[in-house]
Amino acid sequence: MKIVRYIPLLVIGLGVAIGQPHQTDDWSPIIYPDQRIPLIFSHAKHQQRGVACVACHAGATTSRSAVDNLLPTELECRACHPIDRNEPERVVAAAPPARCAACHPGYAPDKPVQRVYLETPPLKFDHAAHVKTPCSGCHGDLSKVDLATRAHLPTMQSCLACHTAGTDQRRCADCHLAKLGGLIETDYPQGSLVPKHSGMGDVHGRGFAKDHRQEAMQLDATCGACHDRSECVACHQGVSRPLEFHVGNYLLTHAVEARRGTPDCSACHRAQSFCVGCHERSGLGNRAPSEFVGTGAFHPPNWIALHPRDAKRNITTCASCHREEDCMNCHSAEPMSMRASPHPKGWRGSAKCKALDSKNRRMCLRCHITQDELGCDWRAN
Amino acid sequence: MRRACIAAIVLAVSSVPADAYEFWLRARTFGQAYQLREYRLVGPDLFLGRRRFTQTLALRIWDIGNFAADRRRARLPDNGLRITWQSYLRIDHDFGLFTSGRVKLTEATRRDAIDVYPELAESVAGLDLLYGHMSIDGLAGGRVSLQLGRVLVDDGWGTSGVDGGTARALVPSTPLAVTVTGGVRVRASSPLGLSAYELDGTSGAGCREYVEGPTPGTGAWKLIDRNRAITNTRLESDYEYCPQRERLQPTIGVAVATSKLRHIGAELGYRRTWSSTVGVIDGVDRLDYPDLGLYPNDFGQAPGSGVNEERVHLRLHGELARGKLAVRPFASARYSLLHAVLDRADLGVRLERGKHGLEPKVEYFYPTFDGDSIFNVFSIEPAADARIGYRYDGEVRATANAWLRRYTGGNAAYAGGSDVSVERDVTSRLRTRLDGLWDDGYGGRRAGGSGEVGWRPTMTSWVRGRVIVLGVAPDDGRPRYVSTSTMLSSTLELGDVAALHLIGESSFDDRQNGQLRALVILDLAFAPEP
Repeated sequence: MKIVRYIPLLVIGLGVAIGQPHQTDDWSPIIYPDQRIPLIFSHAKHQQRGVACVACHAGATTSRSAVDNLLPTELECRACHPIDRNEPERVVAAAPPARCAACHPGYAPDKPVQRVYLETPPLKFDHAAHVKTPCSGCHGDLSKVDLATRAHLPTMQSCLACHTAGTDQRRCADCHLAKLGGLIETDYPQGSLVPKHSGMGDVHGRGFAKDHRQEAMQLDATCGACHDRSECVACHQGVSRPLEFHVGNYLLTHAVEARRGTPDCSACHRAQSFCVGCHERSGLGNRAPSEFVGTGAFHPPNWIALHPRDAKRNITTCASCHREEDCMNCHSAEPMSMRASPHPKGWRGSAKCKALDSKNRRMCLRCHITQDELGCDWRAN
Repeated sequence: MRRACIAAIVLAVSSVPADAYEFWLRARTFGQAYQLREYRLVGPDLFLGRRRFTQTLALRIWDIGNFAADRRRARLPDNGLRITWQSYLRIDHDFGLFTSGRVKLTEATRRDAIDVYPELAESVAGLDLLYGHMSIDGLAGGRVSLQLGRVLVDDGWGTSGVDGGTARALVPSTPLAVTVTGGVRVRASSPLGLSAYELDGTSGAGCREYVEGPTPGTGAWKLIDRNRAITNTRLESDYEYCPQRERLQPTIGVAVATSKLRHIGAELGYRRTWSSTVGVIDGVDRLDYPDLGLYPNDFGQAPGSGVNEERVHLRLHGELARGKLAVRPFASARYSLLHAVLDRADLGVRLERGKHGLEPKVEYFYPTFDGDSIFNVFSIEPAADARIGYRYDGEVRATANAWLRRYTGGNAAYAGGSDVSVERDVTSRLRTRLDGLWDDGYGGRRAGGSGEVGWRPTMTSWVRGRVIVLGVAPDDGRPRYVSTSTMLSSTLELGDVAALHLIGESSFDDRQNGQLRALVILDLAFAPEP
């Protein structure tokens, strides 16, 4: 148990030592699918010559959709490069390269030029609205970059650096495509869009379906942007066994997990309804004759003597088979009963007694009837 | 002609543009058939069939009133007013002997199972609204949002439902939001209600009242006399009655939480649920002696109302990192004002680096129940757990967990254990998995393991086989035993969204000597695990 005492210190120490936000700067292959850009191009050289971004990407200042193709065509290149398709090997002194092979690697007159292939990102984006933002703010410093690829497209991290309200799940569809009903579209030909790159602590790794308590408990969690609430309750308040969650012969092994408390049964099941109903109907309870009642098969023969210890520390387990009335058969203070007190030493006058008595005396009245037995200041003669 | 003109004028004057709103719905149908064993004292054990039919309907109606349509068309951020309806309705019934059968109490007495075990009403003729509310977002410049109807509330330890509403408001100039909840807690007795949202510890049956004797103080507790004709319906219990479980439970809650802060979050909340005390049941003169209500109230000692739940909770989480190491510390605690005890707490950190994940944490648990439950009195000794979990998510997927529990109080005791799981895709169509576990200490020893092979013969079918061996050595003198189980299951994809699951399970040990179970599940909204 000494180790347990040091865990808070460990947590605090890690926090202090690390002390910087978690960054996940890589891009999503679903948002930016594979590209094929068979070109020779240097952003660095163009910037060194003082070419402004808009000189080639003129559409970037007016584009309002991610569908727009903002890559310069040969027409934009011709503004500076004296290209002539009839002269593939053309060289003009003191002018920028004009040879076809200068930009198209492996160019051969008798072969088709390799096409540029860029998948449209499944996003909504308004370049025009960002016209006052420097291009490098989102695309990074291209002064040392030759061919720009998807590595130079903005990640969600960089968007959220300015759009701080973007972490609100209502705002997810400001950028992501939505389907009918407002939920984010997550199924694309290139794969499923799952959180791995947002840096918002919601990474869906393997086993996430079984263990997502911490992510779901996060304040401002964005689960509802992609998932309808019915997906939660279908499993958590479900009436059919979730096969991926309760694997194997769960009827046989559920006692192991119930004892461990992982997963927390009470997160989905109410012991006095779900557990009692099944245990009693199966004959594990005591309302009908069963091989388990009084035979020592479930509780040992000396259970009467043993059970106080287990009830004190493990009443939740008792409550998965027994109703309160089973306890009251012996523990009630009613006339003619055994009047076996379940109260620990010092119960009267304890904070718990006072709190329960002051807030809900109904519970006390389940066993204590007479006026002189009520209240936490009462003392037995 | 005159009538036609009048009709045309009325229509022209009174007609309004028709609106069509986006909606999304998902209907799922489940059929389950399997058997459970009924252990009997005399004669061979019986097999109880469960034939369960479940139909669910999730519905979202989006942007009612088209308040957000203009913004969508203009590609503006979704800031303004937006009204949405969300609901989830479920119909559920078990046609099998599990609920509709009869139970032999004595040679002469047989009763419907639901009369002996009223808890079975959970799965009989259920029509449940798990949630259904109108969401109004974007009020007061986007600072206020409302949910009205059957809303879900969660303090991090479980979800419950409230028939009423919640309001959330951002506090100006601060990164804080205040959420206020008010309404009536959803109970099994609520219209379209269900017990899963209800506080635990109280039963819907077996409730007793004190019936006074010839002289004061000589009476006895007796099952509440329903004083009504036995209808012998198999859809509800004919004999048992708990009026306190049918009282309305007003609930209020308030929480202050951080909002729009990245890398850190905190919430402090309070929730209170109470209910009035049941008064007179049936006629006051139905007994020979004064009958003043459900609970004895001869001296005026029965309170007018009682608190069922009153809790304060706090939760914190963060997200930090150094390099590729992600560090996510978390902590939460809940204090029950009703019991004057800290009843739940945990503290831990999740560390992730590449394919490796490690999560050490400590947990504290003090069982508490509905304020009406006497289980609150019996719950005396809390427990503290230290847990650590490791996860590797590479070509081979592996998990390892260990736990150590200490029961505090006068009878300190320990329990603990560990488990290991390894899973590997041998080929794209063949997967294997091995599990092992060992638990010991208070509660006895359990040790065992399982092996599973999954095979995908076609792109639309799966077959899995699993063998489980579990040894149990109780710590209270009962004999040891070993249970073995084999399981064979298959999933057949019948179309884009339909699948048939076939599962067969067998168990062998001293008690179950060859129990067989078969499950057939028809899923008409099948979505395979990603």
